[in-house]
Amino acid sequence: MKVDILDIGSGNISSIKNWIEKANVPTRIVNSAQNIKSDLLILPGVGSAGSYMARLIDGNYDVAIREHLANGGRLLGICLGFQIMTKYSEEDGGVSCLGLINGHVERIGTEISHNGWEPLRFRNDDMNEQLFHNQYKLTNKRVLNGRVFYNHEYGVVNKEDKSFSTPVSNYLPKYAGLFVKDKIIGIQFHPEKSQITGLDLISMIL
Amino acid sequence: MRIGSTVLLSDQYCVQSYEWKIKRPLGKIQGIFDSLEEYHCDEVAIIRPVRGNDSFDDFRKDIEVVKKLSSMTPISFGGGVRTLEHLKLLQNLPVERLIFSSAFLEKNEKLILGAKSLFGHQAIQCLLPIMTKGGETWVYHSSKNIYIPIDSVDIQFINDLANEVILFDVIHEGMSDSFDWSLLEGIAFDTKKIIISGGVGRKDIQLAKVKKVASVLVDNKILHQEYSISGYKNAT
Repeated sequence: MKVDILDIGSGNISSIKNWIEKANVPTRIVNSAQNIKSDLLILPGVGSAGSYMARLIDGNYDVAIREHLANGGRLLGICLGFQIMTKYSEEDGGVSCLGLINGHVERIGTEISHNGWEPLRFRNDDMNEQLFHNQYKLTNKRVLNGRVFYNHEYGVVNKEDKSFSTPVSNYLPKYAGLFVKDKIIGIQFHPEKSQITGLDLISMIL
Repeated sequence: MRIGSTVLLSDQYCVQSYEWKIKRPLGKIQGIFDSLEEYHCDEVAIIRPVRGNDSFDDFRKDIEVVKKLSSMTPISFGGGVRTLEHLKLLQNLPVERLIFSSAFLEKNEKLILGAKSLFGHQAIQCLLPIMTKGGETWVYHSSKNIYIPIDSVDIQFINDLANEVILFDVIHEGMSDSFDWSLLEGIAFDTKKIIISGGVGRKDIQLAKVKKVASVLVDNKILHQEYSISGYKNAT
């Protein structure tokens, strides 16, 4: 399996690489659009939506990402990398995003950010109803039951009809924590910093 | 509420300090993180307890150590981040949040906004090494090596730019069940954005839960004693 991690100068690349390689799967860091050639492309993301989208467009990555999907590749976005898959984000005064997911991004509250751990539980079979099911059977786990780490101020409002989605938490039910639709998976939390649950998750995804 | 730990990094090795000055060697950072991860520590704040004489070269050497760290635990990093050149070195570290202290006291808006642009507002933390003495509250200004009165600190500036504020009790650091809760009085921070550190013990954790602070950072004495984060988490 080939896994590319997109490096546009905004993202916790080394942690993502560490996370994937803990599942004994090699990764490649890609920093030019024409070099994207993989089964799974990962979009890490920290920072703000405006500057992230500007870098994607400047580097022609937006076109390359669409081509990757059109060629049958899988796409995984983490945190901001997930948010910019939607149609638009309220951040930075409003930013047009990639529009790969029917949904938008909004501020989760007017006070402070959501920083902390939340429980995550889902059945692998439920996720695998989407095309993005795991291909390499790295685990026989049927149920993921753990906790994951969030650090964000904006959340994805999912408007897709037929998708697999779990909420951020019981008190933030409007926003998607884990989203799967066709060959796209979006993760609002930081799986690379979610300790054992992060490791379980990557085994179920790959 | 999160329960994490502080890890002090000095000259590429971890140390434990007492009262913000006495240092005791602990060892390599990777071993310490491995221990904390076994304890399911919610987060770790790596702090360089530097003063005004910190050099860019010293900073760079410490960064190289952090860069090699393999960890799946959320990390905040700070101490000596004073210019945009420092900030450039922080990209692509295994770190989610940045800690600034002197930059907030000096109202270095350019630096903090630069960090916000790279990491997002949710990543910005302000560290205030703080104590009460003579009935007054004082904040240690690390780059100037002096304590300044809290009244001289622009609290609104911190409130506007910092997502969370670490109140580091410098008098009680290295002890347990002795965090000075009076430090929270008279400072106009929303309790939900406050992280307490320095002398935090199990009784303090009970109180922290009642007061609904964002997080507590236990001194990394757990590395010397058979305490565990889970023990703290179950403190009732």
